[in-house]
Amino acid sequence: MSRLRSLCTLCLALALFAGSARANPHRLDDSGSHTVPPNVQMQWRPMTSRSNGAGMEAWLRVNLRIDTAAWIGRSGRVYMVLPRDEMSSIEAVWTSQGRLLPGRLVSGERTLVYAGRIATATLEDQFTVRLRSGADWQGSRRRLDFHFEFDAD
Amino acid sequence: MKAHFVPARLSHLAASAGVLLLAVLQADVAHAWSLNLSPATRRVFLHVGNGTANQDNSTVNLVQVSVPAAQVGNGVAQAMASNSTQSTSLYGDGYTTCPTPSTQVMVGASYQRNNNSSPASATLRVTSPASLVSAAGDTIPFSQISWTVSAAGSPVPGVIPAGTFSGTAQTLATVPANTYIENCHTFSYANSALRAAGTYTGQVTYTLTSP
Repeated sequence: MSRLRSLCTLCLALALFAGSARANPHRLDDSGSHTVPPNVQMQWRPMTSRSNGAGMEAWLRVNLRIDTAAWIGRSGRVYMVLPRDEMSSIEAVWTSQGRLLPGRLVSGERTLVYAGRIATATLEDQFTVRLRSGADWQGSRRRLDFHFEFDAD
Repeated sequence: MKAHFVPARLSHLAASAGVLLLAVLQADVAHAWSLNLSPATRRVFLHVGNGTANQDNSTVNLVQVSVPAAQVGNGVAQAMASNSTQSTSLYGDGYTTCPTPSTQVMVGASYQRNNNSSPASATLRVTSPASLVSAAGDTIPFSQISWTVSAAGSPVPGVIPAGTFSGTAQTLATVPANTYIENCHTFSYANSALRAAGTYTGQVTYTLTSP
């Protein structure tokens, strides 16, 4: 009976672990965030012998307000995500004011911006972002949709 | 008993579907920062002689030669000197492409565009008037002036070819999209005919265009 109870406990623990693994990541709402300016025109980077063809870049600020109310008291990691679109890769490099981590992100990847216990209902910061891309755009306009996700411990 | 069990199971399945639907909706309403990006507009860059990378530079350099009276019209070509001081490349690496700018004029051109409907290349041209003219109204055909090309350390020193001014517009080179070409032009006067004494001047204009 005791062995059966232990087995059941183990099964339950495995089930909970599996359930937790499936649950991550959790998409976070940062609808309070906004960019300055809201629309950006890329500029040519100077051509150099090391990067023939060069590429384009743009600078902007992002005032971030990430809703973490549902996770107060929980520990985990917050990532910024840039889904890959049908065009060439975009590289985002940013600095922060210190609440979130500075970093680098390429289309199709995610980068850690916060790790630890969630203590407040929002995570707020301002990023200064440099976007770079190659010259191989097919369209005349492109929309980037960044988002944040939380991996609970 | 059996009739009671089946509806209960159906009810459970329905609830699961409801949770799944809510989860999907929840994902849809989670907003994120978004940005509309416009690509850089196509750009051409050209410098002839002294230039500044990616900036305007209004300098017009002078190429000149004084032919000694005893040698006028003897058919021996006379090398022309330049007041250009541009020896380093504007290509970003600071390479000394034209090591003797006193006899060379560096010409560099680039064309940048996106992979959209913009033209695939730009065209480098030079336009010269029919003649150089003196204060007295005497003339020398511009076709008396030619140039050779070089580019230290370049595998394609003739990327912009050597030539002779024609007194009209001439196409010098095609610049493919997102490339930079440059080399050094050394000018000479053919000195193939007797001319009246005087100072003859004329100005040529280089253009880089993408239609």
